[in-house]
Amino acid sequence: MFRFNSWDFLSIVTSLIIFIPIFIIITNFNAESENWSHIKENLLFDYISSTLFLVVGVGLTSTIIGVGCAWFVSCYEFYGRKFIEWILILPMTIPTYVAAFSYYDIIENFNSFFIWCRNHIGLNQTMNIENIIVHLVVIILFSFVLYPYVFLSVRASLMIQGRRTIEAANTLGIPTNKLLRKVIIPIIRPAIIAGVSLVVMETLNDYAAVEYFGISTLTVGIFRSWFGMYDVESALKLSSYLIMLVFLILMFEKMYRKGARYNNDGGKSNLRRIIIGNKKQYLIIIFCLTPFIFGFLIPLVRLFTWMITSHVNIYELNLIKTVFNTIYISIISSFTIVFLAYFINFSKNYFNNDVCKKISQLAILGYSMPGAIIAIGILKFSSAINDLVSIVLIGSIFGLIFSYIVRFFAVAWQPIDSSMEKFCKNINQASRTLNVKPLKLMKNINFPILSKPVMIAGLIVFIDISKELPLTLIIRPFNFDTLATLTYDLVNQAQFFQSAIPSLLIILISIPAILIIKTQMDKSI
Amino acid sequence: MFADLNIYTHRHYDSDKLLFKKFTDLTGIKINVIKGGADQLIQRLISEGENSPADVLLTVDAGRLERAKSLELLKPVYSDILIKNIPINMRDYDNHWFGLTVRARVIVYSKERVNKNELSTYEDLANPKWKGRIVARSSNNIYNQSLMASIINANGSDSALDWAKAVRANMARKPRGNDRDQARAVASGIADLAIINTYYLGLLENSTDSKDRKVAKKLGVFFPNQNNRGTHINVSGGAVTASSKNVEQAIRFLEFLTNEENQKVFSGVNYEYPLRFKHIDSKTLLSWGSFKTDSINLSILGKNNAKAVKLFDIANWE
Repeated sequence: MFRFNSWDFLSIVTSLIIFIPIFIIITNFNAESENWSHIKENLLFDYISSTLFLVVGVGLTSTIIGVGCAWFVSCYEFYGRKFIEWILILPMTIPTYVAAFSYYDIIENFNSFFIWCRNHIGLNQTMNIENIIVHLVVIILFSFVLYPYVFLSVRASLMIQGRRTIEAANTLGIPTNKLLRKVIIPIIRPAIIAGVSLVVMETLNDYAAVEYFGISTLTVGIFRSWFGMYDVESALKLSSYLIMLVFLILMFEKMYRKGARYNNDGGKSNLRRIIIGNKKQYLIIIFCLTPFIFGFLIPLVRLFTWMITSHVNIYELNLIKTVFNTIYISIISSFTIVFLAYFINFSKNYFNNDVCKKISQLAILGYSMPGAIIAIGILKFSSAINDLVSIVLIGSIFGLIFSYIVRFFAVAWQPIDSSMEKFCKNINQASRTLNVKPLKLMKNINFPILSKPVMIAGLIVFIDISKELPLTLIIRPFNFDTLATLTYDLVNQAQFFQSAIPSLLIILISIPAILIIKTQMDKSI
Repeated sequence: MFADLNIYTHRHYDSDKLLFKKFTDLTGIKINVIKGGADQLIQRLISEGENSPADVLLTVDAGRLERAKSLELLKPVYSDILIKNIPINMRDYDNHWFGLTVRARVIVYSKERVNKNELSTYEDLANPKWKGRIVARSSNNIYNQSLMASIINANGSDSALDWAKAVRANMARKPRGNDRDQARAVASGIADLAIINTYYLGLLENSTDSKDRKVAKKLGVFFPNQNNRGTHINVSGGAVTASSKNVEQAIRFLEFLTNEENQKVFSGVNYEYPLRFKHIDSKTLLSWGSFKTDSINLSILGKNNAKAVKLFDIANWE
């Protein structure tokens, strides 16, 4: 059981290194903090309640949008269906902070209503109403750009698992639309939960958008304690609440996914789509186009208009270098992350070492923590290394890549893990008994089989990194802006309209990646 | 020849690049720049410790500069030129940091609904006559914290807490958005007064967006406390870092930025005031007129910052 070889050893050591910043955070929860009692008394309740309200709201709304669109697009035939299927994922290219900035004046539409309220029901009640409206607006805003996670997940599930059941039911004479509640929903429930978990992680991670709209979530509290009050200990304590919340969500997700068995069906879906009348088609089209319009089209058009009216010379902003930085760091990091995830997964799969299996699970915890918290862990880790060997980890590209590995390792891990289990487990076990060299197996057999999931994993990590803001804001090296940090800095400096340019470029970079992901996923359905 | 100079700055202006190039042409010293959020830069310096490559910190708000000093991130430096070019209240008495541009935190008001004669002091904003008529940004923001710090200094903690409570109660809405959003709120009728920094008004007046310019036209600017201590001002400033190995070059760089000609560019691009008001050449700034400034040493803003944050929390000013 404890036979180690170099593969296991490397995998274990790598996993542990990735885990260290997280470990530092977890072990610092009980640090003494001068401001903690003040925070606990005055702010903690607001932080927690705002965070919960946001998370539940965004979770529910994105579920409705994502499940609804996935259902319609998978099971019904309507005019423009194929086109709509594609554009529905485009909001994924828009980070939450760009969505917020592009809708910065949305609350002003309620001005007359607020003034009326003030005159008729008084100032205090109006402020409460306004507070709720701002929360609801942000919930809807987030849902419109985050629902694609649910949409993709549920759609894949419907096309694979759902298909057989629907077909069977159809042959027994039960029409598809009657199956929704009793049969379909339970089948796609694990997919919904998986998609919503990602939505919730993204919501918790956001800082710029919620801060702008005046919503005090735990993440805002963390930034405020850390940067505003220079109180890292309080920031860590607040992080512990956030992590507890995430932990609960992950437990919940695991519970619901436990029963799911993913059958490797293969073959294209021959799901017969329901033909419907024109009136119903219009309704479906409107339902599906709405998230696209509000989650992608409107922000894009607004940003584009600002870009043109801001009359900015693109050379002024050092844009070419920033674009290059963004693309190059995203590519290097995603390659590294995918390689590590692939290597460690393969070692675990081939050698079947229990220790390796358990320790590799530690490395994926980084995704559950907002970038801001990871940054604290990395800064402390860097200080420790600094004290030991006088090397400054932060401030180098290496430091930034390492931070991205800690944060996004899980994103590559999950798809590669499940595909390797699905497609390569048997062949790997068989090869082991036949003494096939692991390197040969990994390169020549596994990789061709897994090339698609690996590529998809890489692309998703690429998109996530190019959009990443809070972590990059804190860890970036000299002379190194990414499009995300440039957007944020420009907004912060009241150069609002100029920020449209880097925002548009983030979207532009992500679009090809998303389209490739969609194409590849479609091929396997 | 000379080692490079490494600058940590929060500023993103193209004109800065030109200024840096001018400095390099003049002295042969190459400048490397890391840009970041003001708070992030300080966190960075803390983590890097004595191995930090940074030579100069350029950041905004005296409160922050004072913080950096208290965290032992800055080195005191002696320069006759800096002492000559920078008024005494705009630099650290211990020579750890130096103001480079100035901004005032003023009251903008709706020209339609408010008569200038109704305005007088910051303290007057607590008056119930303003109920439901004021907007201001979040207390998360250091500009508000510094204003609060100056009020704590002028009137004491208890009085400052009462003031914050009363002003918050007078607000037309819960704080959100930045200073520009507050100005827009006044223009759209949500409120009649807003507390903002002068440069935001400059940006609105000169914006390429006609909507912004329309907003600016509806607003008047008022400099509070002219009949007592003067209007609250703050600075963006620079300092030599404790870890710097190029102190001489760093000092020359700071001196360069306080030179009259460079001041005009450095401050003008963002509609801030230069260190000496006689050096103003921006039409926008000149149109607002001259005003009495609060002459307290700005180090006090940093000393009272933590208290200001806590009092804001207790006063429920989010």
